[in-house]
Amino acid sequence: MIRKIFVIFAIAGLIMMLLPLVVNFEYKDSLNELSSQYVRGSIDDLKSQNVVTSVIVSYRGLDTLGEVTVLFLATAGVGFLLKHKKNKNSLRKASELLQTSSSFLVALIILFGIYIFVHGHLTPGGGFQGGVIIASAFLLMILSDINLKFNHLILHLVESFSGAFYVVVGLIGLLLGIGFLNINIVPLGNFGQLFSAGAIPIVYSLIGLKVGAELTAILNTMGGEQ
Amino acid sequence: MIFSLILGFILLILGISMMLTRNNLIKIVIGFSIMDTGIHLIIVSIGYIRNRTAPIIDAAVNIKDATSQVVDPIPSALVLTAIVIGLAVTAVMLSFIVEMYKKTKSLSIDDYQELKW
Amino acid sequence: MVNPIYIIILSLITGFLLSIFDKIGRKLSMTIFYGVLSFNLFVMAIWFYRLLVVDVTPLLINTAGFVAPISINLRMGLQEAFILLFSNFIALFAAIYLFKKFKKAKISSLVLYLILSMGVNGLVMTRDLFNIFVFLEIVSISTFALITLEKNLKSLSAGFKYMLAGGVVSTFFLLGVIFVYYFSGNLNLDFINTGTFNNLGMIAVFMMSLGIFIELKPFPANGWALDVYEATDSGIVSVIAVVNSAAIFYVFYKIMPMIPNNLLQLLGYAGLLTFVLSSLMGLKQENAKRLLGYSSIGQMGLLISAVVFTTNAPEFISILIVGGFLVNHLLAKAGLFWITGIVKKEKIADWGVLNHSKPLLILFGLLLFALASLPPFPGFWAKWEFIRWLIMEKMTVVAVLVLIGSLCEIAFLFRWFNLAVKKEDLQESQIETSHSMNLPVAFLAGVLAVIPVIIMKYFYQIDLIHLAPVIALIVIFIIEIIPSKIKGILSLITLGTYGYYLYPLLSGLQLFFAVIFIIGGGIILISTFNRKGLNQNFYGLLLMMILSLGNLLIAKGYLEFFLNWEFMTISSYLLFLRGKNARNSSFVYLIFSIAGAYLLMLGFAFAPAVSSDMVLLKSITQIQLPLVSIILMSLGFLIKSGSLGVHIWVPDAYAEAEDDVTALIAGILSKVGILGFFVLAVSAISHKPDIDIFYWIGWIGVLSTIIGAFLAVFQEDMKRLLAYSSMSQIGYIVASVAMLSHLGLVTALYLSFNHLLFKGLIFLAIAGVIYRTKTRNMYEMGGLIKKMPISYISVLIGIIAVSGVPPLSGFGSKWLLYSAFIEKGWYLQSGVLFFASAVSFLYLYRLIHSVFLGQLKYEHQNVKEAPIWFILPQLIFIIALMTISTFPNLIIQPLNAIVGNYIDSSIVIDGYKVTSSLGYWNGNQVMMVTMGVFMVPLLLLLLLIGKTQKVKQFNIVFAAERPESPQTTHVAHNMYAHYKKVLGGWGKPRILSFWNGVAEWTHSLGNLFRQFYTGNGQTYILHIILYMVVLYIILGV
Repeated sequence: MIRKIFVIFAIAGLIMMLLPLVVNFEYKDSLNELSSQYVRGSIDDLKSQNVVTSVIVSYRGLDTLGEVTVLFLATAGVGFLLKHKKNKNSLRKASELLQTSSSFLVALIILFGIYIFVHGHLTPGGGFQGGVIIASAFLLMILSDINLKFNHLILHLVESFSGAFYVVVGLIGLLLGIGFLNINIVPLGNFGQLFSAGAIPIVYSLIGLKVGAELTAILNTMGGEQ
Repeated sequence: MIFSLILGFILLILGISMMLTRNNLIKIVIGFSIMDTGIHLIIVSIGYIRNRTAPIIDAAVNIKDATSQVVDPIPSALVLTAIVIGLAVTAVMLSFIVEMYKKTKSLSIDDYQELKW
Repeated sequence: MVNPIYIIILSLITGFLLSIFDKIGRKLSMTIFYGVLSFNLFVMAIWFYRLLVVDVTPLLINTAGFVAPISINLRMGLQEAFILLFSNFIALFAAIYLFKKFKKAKISSLVLYLILSMGVNGLVMTRDLFNIFVFLEIVSISTFALITLEKNLKSLSAGFKYMLAGGVVSTFFLLGVIFVYYFSGNLNLDFINTGTFNNLGMIAVFMMSLGIFIELKPFPANGWALDVYEATDSGIVSVIAVVNSAAIFYVFYKIMPMIPNNLLQLLGYAGLLTFVLSSLMGLKQENAKRLLGYSSIGQMGLLISAVVFTTNAPEFISILIVGGFLVNHLLAKAGLFWITGIVKKEKIADWGVLNHSKPLLILFGLLLFALASLPPFPGFWAKWEFIRWLIMEKMTVVAVLVLIGSLCEIAFLFRWFNLAVKKEDLQESQIETSHSMNLPVAFLAGVLAVIPVIIMKYFYQIDLIHLAPVIALIVIFIIEIIPSKIKGILSLITLGTYGYYLYPLLSGLQLFFAVIFIIGGGIILISTFNRKGLNQNFYGLLLMMILSLGNLLIAKGYLEFFLNWEFMTISSYLLFLRGKNARNSSFVYLIFSIAGAYLLMLGFAFAPAVSSDMVLLKSITQIQLPLVSIILMSLGFLIKSGSLGVHIWVPDAYAEAEDDVTALIAGILSKVGILGFFVLAVSAISHKPDIDIFYWIGWIGVLSTIIGAFLAVFQEDMKRLLAYSSMSQIGYIVASVAMLSHLGLVTALYLSFNHLLFKGLIFLAIAGVIYRTKTRNMYEMGGLIKKMPISYISVLIGIIAVSGVPPLSGFGSKWLLYSAFIEKGWYLQSGVLFFASAVSFLYLYRLIHSVFLGQLKYEHQNVKEAPIWFILPQLIFIIALMTISTFPNLIIQPLNAIVGNYIDSSIVIDGYKVTSSLGYWNGNQVMMVTMGVFMVPLLLLLLLIGKTQKVKQFNIVFAAERPESPQTTHVAHNMYAHYKKVLGGWGKPRILSFWNGVAEWTHSLGNLFRQFYTGNGQTYILHIILYMVVLYIILGV
């Protein structure tokens, strides 16, 4: 079939195009100027142990704000597209084992999620990761009790206000004249401690809450579909 | 670790091939996800520097000489954004499929070409 | 001054909280929603003003307390402000347009819309590559969701295809960006130097550029976009087609410095290809929104090629070109999409329903004219400069393709327009609309109308008298409700004032043509007083046409000339369109005229610059026009004068126009092509072209004369007969000009003046006849001499003047003509012309015989003489005709002087005697002798024959059966059938079938290309990937 030939041609062409990038690829042997500045800056200026977090929340904060927005859009978009309807009586009930263990695990998982986003500036992890973990706790709840109803209003409030507060935190920097999304609005603290890296933990906590709420909302909407 | 880069490209090509050949909408979205994952792998691999550790300045890293001990933090930061965006797009795509399926009860992409020319 | 980052902040905060506010009430959330959108527009308006007028330096906004490239920064410069001003403007008004839908829709739709608008602002302002990706995704995802505002299968599947395409494309963009980072160690646009990249780096740049480029919908990787345009709600689609496209286009502009030159050129050509092919494919399109989709895609392609090919241009020019195209596209396209939502008719054939709402129809027309890049809208200036620039840069092929694409675009746009204006609405359906939907459209149109004034005043310093045609149109439109006669008188007064204003500026040739255009126009205008009712939009167009004709004479430089040329084309097209069955004829006229105008534009582009403080008619004598210029311009003028080969618009346009309009067109508009030839001639006299191109133009004129005469012979419709006669007469004039001799030019001017008099006369008389008899077929008339004696006399005098028998001025013109030809040595041509004169006797005889002589038809027993308003201008023409016939030096002397300015006189005028190298002509004497010869027998007859006997009309008794239409048995029907046999195959309209073939082939070609768009989402992805691969291979070779 002609179509198949074209597909093969397309894939072959694509491979031909991308192959030089793979074959001739060499790892860098040192950090470039920009990333060196980030590493030094994270230690000296931001007092943040996790350089990636510094980049995400501070240096490239606008990206992260955009990222939060994208996730928010996905929630809004999914909500806009799908009608919410609960009608799942036909589904099999979850097993006793799942139900019992989940009620025990949910609190732990949420706690773990909170830990992850609160320590985002110290250890691997952060708001997004923590948020996903929190959402996974709720996913477990949905799985164990299919007829579970979340309180929409609370989800909604958490989602909206954590997002808005994030912007407000950024705005404070702008109003202080030190730039939008500057994390230097609270004392930087000491390097390596929980209360360090300025507003990074605050921002990450807000993001964590927001992501958790949003993903839960998406799961809830999609799970509500029959 | 160059292996991860190659794997990334393989996933990318695989994902695209799947998007081009599968008839089922869900599988096309899966193809998209695979392609996305490939890109994420590529992004992470780009920042890797041999024999270095993650850019977290804890006990494993000498603070004074941090710049010569850690890998590039930027791709790691970028990939996080890319992942979230990929997730968002996938979620919206799937909701589209749900709605489309409701209208026609078909998951074949060939059944959705009433608009043409 | 407000930091533009507040747009992002405010939109995000309200976006996040909007659903909470909505819990309180939709009124609150909607107020906030519109408030934020207005705020965005307000901020950009301030910034645009500050950057443009106050001239502040562009603002760089750093985030996170660090400077770029450490942190992401945003830029607010003039370009950004410009794009965002219009984007936010459209975003706000599209939201107003969607007011009713938003009121009922889920709150998430408002949130999505708000964030979409925020994303566009961020996308334009950000200077960071990865941040571009993020904002691009914000815009995309909100768009995906908004596509389903009207949730049906079409919008869902279109949205899904869009997501697949968008997903693949953005993946490649991301891949490119990440490798650009790898090679440059940076993500900030201002800090990346791709000049140092190796081959691998170039692959990265390639993928990144293509990622953005395919978002701009190049052919054929754009099927998804078309589906989206077709299926999405009009308000949302206006945002997608306009706001999103503008922002992504700006992203392309931002990364352009990074793109290597060979790739950039390739993309420029890809854009051009998109423009040409999508215009071609639009020809076959029946669905209104999809049609606009093709147009959008085409416009984006044009924009890309404009921005790529003008990278080296001076700033002034590139701003005008790119900015002009962009604004034009943004505003016109948004408005048209909104109108599709108001009209709610999918098929363009059903758009006759617009006739129920005149204001909407006018807005529709206005936006369509803007989209077609007709003056005075911004696209016109952009196209003019673009073509000039391309020719200057020796990119002739590009220029020609741009014009071909534009022509196709105009064809499909105006087919739509003609359907909307002329197609009867059979279902009698009504347009349901609301102020919230109409207002944005009207506001847009207003903005579009103001921009030209700014361009003319600040970019070009064009005298605003050149806006007079448009102003006249608007003023008459405003006072539309007053009775027709008062408007007519006002128009006459306007013409008088205009003539008074013009008079001191004119001399020589200008004055001669001013007399034809303004005084001739004024006289014929009297006949329109006969019109009943309001005659909406008539006098405005009439004035527009005459004023633009007048302005042609005082135009300085090529641009002003061309501007008025286009005004003249538009107004005459719209006048033609007023005719009852003029849908097709006016369309053909428009297409040919625009093609002619484009040829003219190309011709001007090739010509060397002329001094800008002298009128073109004078300054052009100082330069040597290159051959290509002369050829192109002559072709343009040949089309306008309806010469052989491009004459096929003439008969239908003349026949289907309103009868008084036909007189106007034949009397004065047909002279504008002659004016054009004079522009060429006065230049060629002082600077002879290398090849004697005028020799061939002369032949075309001669052949038009003979073929026109032949075609006229076989017409049943008297207006068509006269139309072909005009073609034939104009052929004489063209041939005379082409001689470039003194006598030839005098002849041409003399013929032109004569033609105005006798054609105006005959057409007005005929208009009166048609007004009374309600038919144009000659065989349905007869014996009208008794009922309409004055009209009969007019026609008689007219045809005596046409045929060139003594004593009237036609004799003088023929004498001049043959003298000139023989003096020039064009013997064969002169023989052919002589033959054509003989042929013209045939059709002239037929005209007077079939209409006025013979037996009166039963239906016409109660016919009266034509109304006084038709008779009055005829009398004026008769008096003028008699005067110049009796005292020919009244006209010959000034013409001799006019031509003497350019070339030495070859004739001697002594009293009433004109002497050329071949002999002499004394018009006065001729008149005396002829009148004597005529009067003496007449008197004798009157004296000798005391009693005349009238022949009674009798009935024909048919033997057994009665033919179905008895008129066709009359000799007047198919009168010269026997000559047709003699001519054999030569009587067939071959040229018509040639042009029909061209049209058919063009349509088939368009149809062929659109087969690419199978409607399958998977195929569209395949297109995208193949597109990248093919471009990559081309680049590699």
